[in-house]
Amino acid sequence: MSKFIETFKKMGNDSLNQDKRNQKIVFWLFLFPSLFSFAMVQIIPFAIGIYYSFTNWSATAQFSIDFVGLKNYFDAFQDPAFLYATIITSVYTILNIMLVNVIAFSLALLVTSQLKGRNIYRAGFFLPNIIGGIILGYIWQFIFNYFVPRIAAMAGFTYLAENLMLGNSNTAILAMVIVSTWQSAGYIMMIYVAALQNVPRDLIEAAQIDGANAWQRFRNITVPMVSQAFTVTLFLTLVNSFKQFDVNVSLTNGGPSTMFMGRAIKGTTLLAMNISDTSTISLNTAQAQAKAIIFFLVLVTFSLIQVYISKKREVEL
Amino acid sequence: MKKILTIISMLLVVLSLTACAPKQEEQVVITFKQNKPEIDEALQAYAAAYEEATGVKVNVVSCGGGSCTLGDMLKADYAAGEMPDIFPIDGPDSYKQWEAIIADLSGEKWVSDTSVEYVVDGKVVGFPVAVEGWGMAYNADLLKKAGIDPSTLNNYQAYVDAFVKLDGMKAELGIDSVVSMAAGPGMYWVTAHHNFNSLLSNGVSYGDLSVANKFLAGNIDQTRLNDYANWVSLLFKYADKTVLTTGNYDSQVGAFLNQKAVFLHQGNWVDGNLTAATFDMAFAPHGSSTAVTDGIFVSAPAWYVVNKDSKNYQAALDFLNNLVYTELGQKYMVEDAGMIPAFVNIELKPKGKLSQSVQSWTADGKVYSWNQYLFAGEFRDNVLGPIYDQLAQGAVSVDKFVELFKTALTDNAK
Repeated sequence: MSKFIETFKKMGNDSLNQDKRNQKIVFWLFLFPSLFSFAMVQIIPFAIGIYYSFTNWSATAQFSIDFVGLKNYFDAFQDPAFLYATIITSVYTILNIMLVNVIAFSLALLVTSQLKGRNIYRAGFFLPNIIGGIILGYIWQFIFNYFVPRIAAMAGFTYLAENLMLGNSNTAILAMVIVSTWQSAGYIMMIYVAALQNVPRDLIEAAQIDGANAWQRFRNITVPMVSQAFTVTLFLTLVNSFKQFDVNVSLTNGGPSTMFMGRAIKGTTLLAMNISDTSTISLNTAQAQAKAIIFFLVLVTFSLIQVYISKKREVEL
Repeated sequence: MKKILTIISMLLVVLSLTACAPKQEEQVVITFKQNKPEIDEALQAYAAAYEEATGVKVNVVSCGGGSCTLGDMLKADYAAGEMPDIFPIDGPDSYKQWEAIIADLSGEKWVSDTSVEYVVDGKVVGFPVAVEGWGMAYNADLLKKAGIDPSTLNNYQAYVDAFVKLDGMKAELGIDSVVSMAAGPGMYWVTAHHNFNSLLSNGVSYGDLSVANKFLAGNIDQTRLNDYANWVSLLFKYADKTVLTTGNYDSQVGAFLNQKAVFLHQGNWVDGNLTAATFDMAFAPHGSSTAVTDGIFVSAPAWYVVNKDSKNYQAALDFLNNLVYTELGQKYMVEDAGMIPAFVNIELKPKGKLSQSVQSWTADGKVYSWNQYLFAGEFRDNVLGPIYDQLAQGAVSVDKFVELFKTALTDNAK
């Protein structure tokens, strides 16, 4: 490969014009592998997906694929389960963003303080993030169904002992928030740790000399200085909560049911799972595709707004 | 040095290319995908023996249970142009998906030796995988201890009496609950598929679709629905709440295996999970009616279909015939895979106690059909399942359950 480029370079010495052109060729040659794979696995399937969302495509041996216009989109908006999933996903996302970030930031403050054995804590808090979501869901299912009630009974909390967290859709959502916080707080914590370590000591010392107390130093120096990290972490938690699927499937499996608009529907089915159910249970692949496009648009809108707002708060040194 | 490396790597590329090229004498390879992971081992062994005997290689791929969805795999295969030669369908839903490539098997020899083949418009298209049945599986030892004769359990009142009696003897029998029942998320198939069939088929003669068709058309038989709701509520009332609302298959079957429950609402497929059981067991009929209903629900759970576009079409047909008419095939089906054969010419009997119970009910002709598949999977999983779940959670009353059921069935007919 190096010889290859050398040849190009030699050729490029002939004239400045040619040199520029050769540089361009090299530039595109280097870019080609990633562009090619990105197009093959992202751009093209996405375009095909948009096309399929306007047809009656079923992914099976069907006699013909017909164009049906916006029917799938209208049907999606009239599906109570999809509306419910949108609402419950928003609730879940808000709860999750708050809990994950508050806990991650607190942990980050803890492990950047003068605490003994803080490196062990860092590794420990990060560890759950390595476990896959599916396995995690099953482990926590066991904890919520068997461990929590027994501990609660021993400790005398009769309400917790008699009412299973996964047995009611409201508490099951809460259970999902707990599990995903447990899983992702360590990861988000690492981002905060990196940001906290970059806060200049001299600023804090100067403030200390000026007589600022701990809270004032935290509020007026630490927080503004790590606001770049907030942009990243809020974006990550927003997108990850919105796209939550694996913990949803393994922990609650979309249930238990709840009443919505006069009918019984699955109470913790988030958007991603609703889309997958539309395809695998309702066997309506094209409508699932339409829902996925809606999902994509909603997610892009929300994350752009979030990044725009967070960026405005960032402090440049 | 670099040159040598280049030459070696080039040689390797050429070598791997030639290795991929077809051999001179091409072996027939059938691809067989199926959705019962529990029989995978037996099936692989059978496929190996089959290859030895006939020279035809059968590539068995099992995809099922919680970790793999065959429906999705088939879609991917179809998109890739690698549709298997033999694959299973489990009713009208999946038949419709693959209708365009499913072969007409009416002319096959095995058609005359079975009564549970899959028929569409007079054409036989599906080879029955096995016969399965469900009712109320009971622990015969515990019933004996409680002084209850299982043969009397065939209507609603008999079950009420038995449940009340057993519930009063919990400590004595060492049980947590009378029934091991699951209605929570992921277990909707127990309620909205199997239990639901009681409403459609219990007490109705085999193959008679009149009752089911009425519900399908939205004509609600109120008495039948009320009786059925009482039965569901009875099962839920005497079930362990943890298993009922949040349990999975393992916890449900486990409670029965560990003698923590007297009854289990499952079918004979649990035999494989109950090999460690030390007690006697069998099936009793469902009690969803005030009248006596003396029979359990028996049918083929799935059917193998053959891809008519396959280049190995004849080899695939031969393979299915081999299953029914050779000692090798019969031994695999009955002894190794533990399934109840769907063909009258097979005389072997499975070892599982519940499978034997299904066979004896079938031999007596006391069987009712499976009509739940007349309703779409989406309706059962997404509409009925959550309604049962609401009752199990205690969030709705029995009256409200009936009302929700009625609305759901009426809406479904539209």
